[in-house]
Amino acid sequence: MAKREIAGPAALILSSLAEGAKHGWALTKDVEAFAGVRLAPGTLYEALNRLEALGLIEALPSEDRRRPYRLTAAGAAALRAHLARERHVADVGLSRLAAEWGTA
Amino acid sequence: MSGAERRAGRLLRWYPRAWRERYGDEFRELLVADIAERPRSWSRTLDVVRRGATVRLGLGGAAHADARLATVVCSGATFVLFATAIWAQLAIGWQWSRPATPATSAAIVAMACLLGIFGLLAGLGAAPVLWAVARRFATGRGRALAVPFGVSLAGAVVAVLGARHFAAGWPGTGGHPWAHQHLLPGHVAALAWAGTLSVTSYWAHPSALLGFPSDELLWMVASPVALVAAVAGSARTIRRLELSSRVVRFELALARLASGAMVVFVAAACSWIATGGTGPRNLFHVGAIDFVALAAMIAALLFARQAGADARATLAR
Repeated sequence: MAKREIAGPAALILSSLAEGAKHGWALTKDVEAFAGVRLAPGTLYEALNRLEALGLIEALPSEDRRRPYRLTAAGAAALRAHLARERHVADVGLSRLAAEWGTA
Repeated sequence: MSGAERRAGRLLRWYPRAWRERYGDEFRELLVADIAERPRSWSRTLDVVRRGATVRLGLGGAAHADARLATVVCSGATFVLFATAIWAQLAIGWQWSRPATPATSAAIVAMACLLGIFGLLAGLGAAPVLWAVARRFATGRGRALAVPFGVSLAGAVVAVLGARHFAAGWPGTGGHPWAHQHLLPGHVAALAWAGTLSVTSYWAHPSALLGFPSDELLWMVASPVALVAAVAGSARTIRRLELSSRVVRFELALARLASGAMVVFVAAACSWIATGGTGPRNLFHVGAIDFVALAAMIAALLFARQAGADARATLAR
């Protein structure tokens, strides 16, 4: 099986979908609210396309012309692994900063 | 239909039809909402153009392996066009006199051998595709292939016949006392020269172009059109063939070999640029067009490698 490394827009999308299914515009607004990043439409759909092909998200039946996406079990596992790695890096960085530069 | 919907519809056209069929409605809704919130946004337009072009080129996203293979073919053909143009210029020089330095001689010989390898790999790669095309037509399922394959064939025929016709004007012959050093048989170099006449810095000097014979000028415009038709038709044919994963793997293995050969070709071209200088009688002069060709070859190589890697990743899923 191919490695399921996730990063950038993919990590933001998976994090947003972790709380429930969302369509494109809801995803854009949610990511903007919690990460301060505005995902451009083309970038968002390129990432959705790739995540769907990897089986990390799945499309639900359309609501009007908007289609919601939700996290799959594989997507949840990939996100958990990614965030654990990020947390480890953040912990190491913060502890080294504290040791050398003191706490803020 | 509102203005935002019309603009969203125009932006959507940057994506290929298959993508629009799958994502068109929902993407249009997203664009309409985005346009309503940010009526003027160059970054949005650039993002859609860039991502749409990426999907059309078979890069990124979840395109099928054969779409990415088509991108490899287009990139490879672009590389070979510029490589042939550079080499044809050097072959003319060699016809009159050997290069001044052994390093330049070695670089030119290496480029000649590598072009032969590209030809061999292209032949090996074309064989299973042509076989698949023949089978589709033989079993009455070739209708969808008729236009792209016909365009490809017509482009190739025009390119070959035109090159043969204009090869007669090759400046590598002419009875000069120090002519005929023969890097290769003259007619091979002459065909390469005539086929790549359009790769020239004369485009930057329109007044000089006006002095060209009108039929040659017409050929300089028509030959790239024919080559684009041949390559684009081939790419479209590959995308419609739905090749088996076994064939795609074989093609990608050939592409990997070709990309290694491309790296060596670029190194040889750089060696000529660095050591060749003008050479005897200014025959191995490095011009602005050679730097343009080198940049185009490097870009094509990077595209081909990326598309090949994406295709292998797609097959591995």
